[in-house]
Amino acid sequence: MNETRLVFTWRAMLIAFLLPLVSVWALDFTLGGSVGAGIDSLPRFANALLTSYTLGSLLLLGNLFFYADSRKRPLAPLFGMLAAASIGLFTTIVLLNQGDLLMENNGSVQAQIFYNIVHLLVSTGAILLALGLALGTTFSTITAQKARRTVFEEE
Amino acid sequence: MDAMAQAALWFWLPAALIPIGIWISLSTKVPFQRTFARFLAMAGFAAIVASPWTVPTSPSSEAGHLLGFIVGPSALLLVGLYLVSFSGNVPVGRLPKSDRRLGVMSFIIGFVWFIGMHWWNLTPSLNGEVNRYWLVFWPTFLLLLSCLCSGAALCLRMIGDDRTKESNLLWFAAGFVFSIIVLGMLVDGHAITATEFRYHLWLAGADLLGTAFGLAIAILVFGVVIFLHERSLPEPGSVDPPTAKEMSHVTAIVAANLGGDTDE
Repeated sequence: MNETRLVFTWRAMLIAFLLPLVSVWALDFTLGGSVGAGIDSLPRFANALLTSYTLGSLLLLGNLFFYADSRKRPLAPLFGMLAAASIGLFTTIVLLNQGDLLMENNGSVQAQIFYNIVHLLVSTGAILLALGLALGTTFSTITAQKARRTVFEEE
Repeated sequence: MDAMAQAALWFWLPAALIPIGIWISLSTKVPFQRTFARFLAMAGFAAIVASPWTVPTSPSSEAGHLLGFIVGPSALLLVGLYLVSFSGNVPVGRLPKSDRRLGVMSFIIGFVWFIGMHWWNLTPSLNGEVNRYWLVFWPTFLLLLSCLCSGAALCLRMIGDDRTKESNLLWFAAGFVFSIIVLGMLVDGHAITATEFRYHLWLAGADLLGTAFGLAIAILVFGVVIFLHERSLPEPGSVDPPTAKEMSHVTAIVAANLGGDTDE
């Protein structure tokens, strides 16, 4: 597969992946449009981004311990990732303290942070289940077909 | 014990036990440790499901309540797909053909169960209100499943070799899930109106995009940290050339390992 075709394939697959998402939003606009939800989506997007960044950085920090095994356990990258995770947490706290900017019907900053973590866990559960089903469906459609035989031709 | 400490003991500690248990069971080779780690993970899981009774005052316990509701249909869906997949044409670990029907039945029951949680009276409700995390889980799950099936269908068609039939089946699956989303947007559910569902679809989309961007930035930062550290390391010093004694030792080893009949 040449390079141009490969780029086209990736673009086409990305479009196919985003097609249902865009269609749902287009349909929603046609039905009257939940403009209010559109405005509420911004704090949700920001909270999801900050929480996944912070927890993702902490997970990768744990991963660095295994990396350090083969490098005489250097401390610099560990501190680097710890600083990166701390920046995420600090940014979250600062932005949550700016009035209603990122708050979502929770009484305090602490409650919002816990809500964000549980929210991310629930979203991750939905994402993992959807991934499992999509992979399983793909695999089962392939194995449901008749077995293929590879015929080798003599030169 | 105050509410915060109760939540820490009955929700967050069990929540931490699940990944710790899974991590230990995957990394250890000692049978006792593996069994104990699995027990830890199972105990954590059970404690989270029981959290609506152990810490009813904590808002986080709603996630435990949801977990108890979705574990049944999720298991049926996954087991169903496993049975269907491995009763087909697989070179190893093939299951009997009869398992295919069982798998299809299990999958259908799991999906109908989930649909019943939206349009029938199986909706996860706590103290007379719909569990707020169900309104996170259900739209996110449907939206992503539709996107993934659509992407996988095109992937099979463009990269796969003569996989048109399989690709069409995946298009059908994507279309089926998409039609459930559209139905949810148009028809009121048992406890969730169509307008509410549409509102939460927006939030689910924002959630998915935010999570994807957040994780991408974390991975990028991780790469930058490793790159900067590796770049700051000094060049490895060059070693001295081998001595005559070392060379003769290497020659002896190479000579001992080179064999074969000589041509006559």
